[in-house]
Amino acid sequence: MSAQKRGIIKRVNSMLAKKEISCKELTQKYLDEIKKSELNAYISLSEDEAMASAENVDKKISSGEEVDVLAGIPMTLKDNISTSGIETTCASKILRGYRPIYDASAWKTLKDKGAVLLGKTNMDEFAMGSSCENSCIGGAKNPHNTGYVTGGSSGGGASAVAGNIAAYALGSDTGGSIRQPASFCGIVGLKPTYGSVSRYGLIAYGSGFDQIGPLTQTAEDASIIFDAIAGYDPMDSTSNPNYEPNSYESLNNDIKGLKIGIPKEYYDGVDEEVRKPIEEAMKVYESLGAKIEHFSLPEVKYTLPVYYILVCAEAASNLARFDGVRYGYRTEHYKDINEMMCKTRSEGFGAEVKRRILLGNYVLSSGYYDAYYKKAQNLRKVIMSAFYEAFKKYDVLLTPVSPTTAFPANKSYSNPQEIYLADICTVPVNTVGIPGISVPCGFDSKGLPIGMQILGDKFSESKILNVAHKYEIATDYVNNKCLDMGVRL
Amino acid sequence: MISREEVLNIANLSKLYLDESEIEGAQKEMDGMISFADEINKIKADCENLPELGGINNAFHDDEIKKSCPQSKILENVDGGKDGYFYIKKFN
Repeated sequence: MSAQKRGIIKRVNSMLAKKEISCKELTQKYLDEIKKSELNAYISLSEDEAMASAENVDKKISSGEEVDVLAGIPMTLKDNISTSGIETTCASKILRGYRPIYDASAWKTLKDKGAVLLGKTNMDEFAMGSSCENSCIGGAKNPHNTGYVTGGSSGGGASAVAGNIAAYALGSDTGGSIRQPASFCGIVGLKPTYGSVSRYGLIAYGSGFDQIGPLTQTAEDASIIFDAIAGYDPMDSTSNPNYEPNSYESLNNDIKGLKIGIPKEYYDGVDEEVRKPIEEAMKVYESLGAKIEHFSLPEVKYTLPVYYILVCAEAASNLARFDGVRYGYRTEHYKDINEMMCKTRSEGFGAEVKRRILLGNYVLSSGYYDAYYKKAQNLRKVIMSAFYEAFKKYDVLLTPVSPTTAFPANKSYSNPQEIYLADICTVPVNTVGIPGISVPCGFDSKGLPIGMQILGDKFSESKILNVAHKYEIATDYVNNKCLDMGVRL
Repeated sequence: MISREEVLNIANLSKLYLDESEIEGAQKEMDGMISFADEINKIKADCENLPELGGINNAFHDDEIKKSCPQSKILENVDGGKDGYFYIKKFN
């Protein structure tokens, strides 16, 4: 570990503006480090596009043109975010060779600001998993200890940012897929409110749960990215037409008098090593003038099965489009159209994806729809209602991100549900549609990072980013250290 | 326990093949998944008198003709297709 300063966007922006380094030199440094890296964080590189964008930014800077704070910053996208002309596979064999014909809106916004895309990052296939190991190229590795998983599903992005082979990453979070890998890799991960960032071009897993968000070194960086990508997009009918984010301005707001709720059910079954630093963080907040109050939110207990029923049902419907006709993989030998589709899908999808499609179609099938899907939809409303009530009393909630730190790579499980339990602290946010941010708050005895989660009411990203930033400043980033690898600036 | 026929029916609805060696495993796995999902049927919550949650409205847009994607571009992902169509091999 070294004392390198945290937060990279403003720093790189200033280096480029002062011409201490050219954007092409910087991009080359990142590409060289990616090629040397053993983290398996990337699925594909977009070298030519990256160098062309970098050259463009250099030209603008040398001609004295004003550029955006994100111009020239080398970054990466999860491989389920569509990039026009650049292969997008969702880490699945079924999408091998697929080149989208349009850009996802979130990426288009960054591209227009001059962002430099280094490549696409590793993930659990179709974002289904909590370890990144359900990837067709094998899991990404945790930069803090390569014998451990990165978490998932945005594991490649988390690994790349923590390992300094990308300045920041965009991931997607359906049930914790940004926050949990951020926590396991010791970085910041923001899952925005449902409807705040356009999902146009994000290959759908659970359309009622998915959100694109940033994985960054600090809350300040997350705030810069969030402000850039959030806002109304006519291409996504679920994006909020009235939301104009400006979280950066309130980042340093005083938090004196802030009411922080501690929902006790989140802490049941959480490792002592994970719980301790979060309790320390509560003391930090108290010293900043916030009020801590413990309360009960029993609905959290049954969110996990509700979430899995609904998300698998949505996944089964969303993934019906992969039939081998229009893009991606197609089986070689077939006798008729049904066999072509069935063989394509059976050969193209991995085990976890098939498992979720089967469960999804089961809960949607005649005879079971009422008992599972409809009941889960109703319970979702009960859970939402309980959280809305909580936010009448508290400004934010403070919880763990995961009951444990990163688990060992290649660990075997007795059944698939065992690994679903790892999502217990993250799925409520998606079920309710609220924002949540994972912030590094310590290390366990093995030196693996621990994250805490700050939850806010709908469209309160400014508030949770402010609360996260205040903690980082108060603790001088002591729990959020830069690893001695990758690009050092 | 979920029957072999039910598993095969769901696989068929999902357009997935299960070969003979996979069926028993899939049956066990689905059984586990269903017991996990069954947890919700133990929950006693008042689902009838839910408060209006609000904030959910239909998103209408103006009925305007917009530019669509060129056919040739869409067919790039299947090596250009054939005569402007997606092409799969002929079968009887």
